[in-house]
Amino acid sequence: MEINIYISGVGGQGAIRLGQIIADYALQKSKKIKLFKEVGMAQRGGAVHCEIRIGNVFGSRIPPYSSDATVVMELSEGLKALEFVKPGGTVILNNHKVYPIDLMAQPEKYPEFQEIEALFKKTKAKIIWIDAKKIAKEIGLPVAENMVLLGTLSQILSFDKRVILGTLEKNIPCEIEKNLYAFQEGYRITKGIKK
Amino acid sequence: MKRLLTGNEALAEGIIESGADVVTGYPGTPSTEVVLTLLHQKEKLDMYIEWSINEKVAFEIAAGAAWAGKRALVTMKMSGVNVIADSLSSISYSGCNGGLVIFVADDPGVSAGMPEEDSRYYAQLMIIPMLDLASQQECLDYVKIAFDISEKIGGPVFLRSTTDISHVASDVLLGKKLYMKRKAQFERNIAKFTKARAAWCMEQHQDALDRLEQSSEISDSYITESGIHINATHLAKNSQCGVIYAGAVQGNFQEILKKYNLDISWLKIGMVHPLPEKIIRDFLSIHERILILEELDPLIEKEVLRIAYLINKKITILGKLSHALPMIGAYSFKIIRKGVEVLLDKKIGTDKNIEKILMMANQLTIKRSTSFCVGCPHRGTYYALNKAIKKLRYKQDEVIVTGDIGCTILGMNKPFESCWTEVAMGASIGLAQGFKHAGIEKPVIATIGDSTFFHAGIPSLVNAIYQKVNLTIIILDNGWTAMTGFEENPGTIPFGKKNTSRIDIKKICKGCGIENLFIIDPYDAENSIKTLMKAIDYLGVSVVIARRECALQAKRRKKNTIKYVVNKEKCTGCRLCLNELACPAMIFFPKNEKSKKYMSINSTCTGCGLCQSICPLGAIEVKNNGN
Repeated sequence: MEINIYISGVGGQGAIRLGQIIADYALQKSKKIKLFKEVGMAQRGGAVHCEIRIGNVFGSRIPPYSSDATVVMELSEGLKALEFVKPGGTVILNNHKVYPIDLMAQPEKYPEFQEIEALFKKTKAKIIWIDAKKIAKEIGLPVAENMVLLGTLSQILSFDKRVILGTLEKNIPCEIEKNLYAFQEGYRITKGIKK
Repeated sequence: MKRLLTGNEALAEGIIESGADVVTGYPGTPSTEVVLTLLHQKEKLDMYIEWSINEKVAFEIAAGAAWAGKRALVTMKMSGVNVIADSLSSISYSGCNGGLVIFVADDPGVSAGMPEEDSRYYAQLMIIPMLDLASQQECLDYVKIAFDISEKIGGPVFLRSTTDISHVASDVLLGKKLYMKRKAQFERNIAKFTKARAAWCMEQHQDALDRLEQSSEISDSYITESGIHINATHLAKNSQCGVIYAGAVQGNFQEILKKYNLDISWLKIGMVHPLPEKIIRDFLSIHERILILEELDPLIEKEVLRIAYLINKKITILGKLSHALPMIGAYSFKIIRKGVEVLLDKKIGTDKNIEKILMMANQLTIKRSTSFCVGCPHRGTYYALNKAIKKLRYKQDEVIVTGDIGCTILGMNKPFESCWTEVAMGASIGLAQGFKHAGIEKPVIATIGDSTFFHAGIPSLVNAIYQKVNLTIIILDNGWTAMTGFEENPGTIPFGKKNTSRIDIKKICKGCGIENLFIIDPYDAENSIKTLMKAIDYLGVSVVIARRECALQAKRRKKNTIKYVVNKEKCTGCRLCLNELACPAMIFFPKNEKSKKYMSINSTCTGCGLCQSICPLGAIEVKNNGN
């Protein structure tokens, strides 16, 4: 048994925290884990991504076409995950664009939703669109975008809800209530589209 | 008990379990978190831990402690070994009384800049045994082994990791903690600890060689607490093919064996210097085709070729020298799979052909050029420097600006593109002198950060003053070793209770006799430009200290900083602020049906005010409370 999760985003979205919570959850479940984090230039608007591998795994990086769940927190950055998407796996496309400084004046150069979706469709994975930022904003805690996605992921991968919620509480320093609510929202809206 | 730990965190745990007495280091990706992890729990550890001024000093402190019979460990990135090399050879030849472990993290694939050098050569060069880490569990286990070997042979031992081991987290089994408090004691032995006689030096040389041989004997039989063999052999049934590997490649190699259900013989080498010659010999004697998996340089491969020659057997040896595998970069799943395919002489992967899709994705992916952090004082310094150069009627490509290691080098990024060069810690000041002596007539400016200045900038500053070189040196003093994760350095203001005494860079410069010494506040663009113009114009060494605390660190301590907002009425969307400063807090809104084009500042603003001072329309205003 092996689960691979690829999360890509940009600095500030909480991709790493999301990965950390899932890895911690796996530890609670006594699984073997590899957690890779790319953080390099996070503070300076750079790309951030992490890979979580759970189960009978050896390498720190997900082999091509092996990611059971691919979380695209930032649309353009998600394209880097394309090679790792497993046919039959799930791709969560979060409706969030972060324009880098040099593109701000030419937003038309940013790829269209449809273009990105079309490429992901070719991987033969199930695609789920979600607007986690919007949901988190409505809850009143925009930074809980990652927790909405954690809820979605937990639903898709059938995580043990009690344990994952316990792990969430342990790893969130403040605003626990809103974070839990964000999780529940992400969990709820994905009900019925389990893999 | 198991915990989720990165390789570096596991290593820190191993250090605690080893009962180490002294731990020193200098920050450098990917090695930094070892000391950081220990420092976080400093209070409850009976251990002396410090960030030293540079790797050489850190190493010498560790060596001194080990000479006094204690267990000491020093950490650094591969570039740091270049810095300690001078002391390292002497201490290796002399040996030590206690346990001395040098932890070095290499960076194949270059996650953090600097040459992709292979520190394993130092083990050979310095006659020091080296253990190569292949998993996060080994990070913990091998510290104990390294100390044990070091004490058994009476000499230092290298512990080498790579980014893929150090920065990846895994479930790690904790072990038993050793309590081994000993009294510090150093016996006088001039023949062992000095180098003033040829006979002594040659004796010491022989001793070092003997220690190396002894370490090889020890390592062959080692099994760690959690059951890892340092050198392990797996023999497949009816397999003519075998793989010899070391280090981080283990993960992807084992992954391939599992994924493609392969049974190939393998030999895993945990001690890469000296190599287990007999074990390799035995392995070669029963296989016809051998693949060598090691990142960076073909050290093991060359040795295996030599051993194959000695046993006089015709074996196909595949690796970097046979061009089956690349010389550079980290070894991904795909690269290792290709190596295994060459070994087996057949395809094992069944990838669909999505090359075209990947190419399209690659073209669509937008590039994210990085800038300074929001509120970074360096932004102001490089902005002012570029303006000063322009106002002195030079073009930007006429005035050489040497850059140095750390956050300050980000001045090479757009929109500033100020720094022309980046060499090594402190090298900006030396290089700048060379440009002048070569006859560059236009001004030459060196830029360097505070930690880098302390590390290796002071000797070259002294040299420049002594030789009266016409030079401007800008020390960008943000008070922290920020690039690697905000470590303290001698210039850091000791917040709270500390047992350190701060050293002021201004006083160092004054003490060296700099007459033209200026302090600027990078947030004050106007004065900074004026001062820099004066400094550049000055004949002789001028030093400008651009002083302002790292914005991220300042933000962590203070809560209510002022913030700026854009007055949408006044803003014409000219984007001057964006183009000149590229602050990540700035957002541009293009013209649409509902609105004209305008700039906006998001909530991450730390209130440096640079954008306000350069906006020609006065459209940027202080945000009122509750507004």
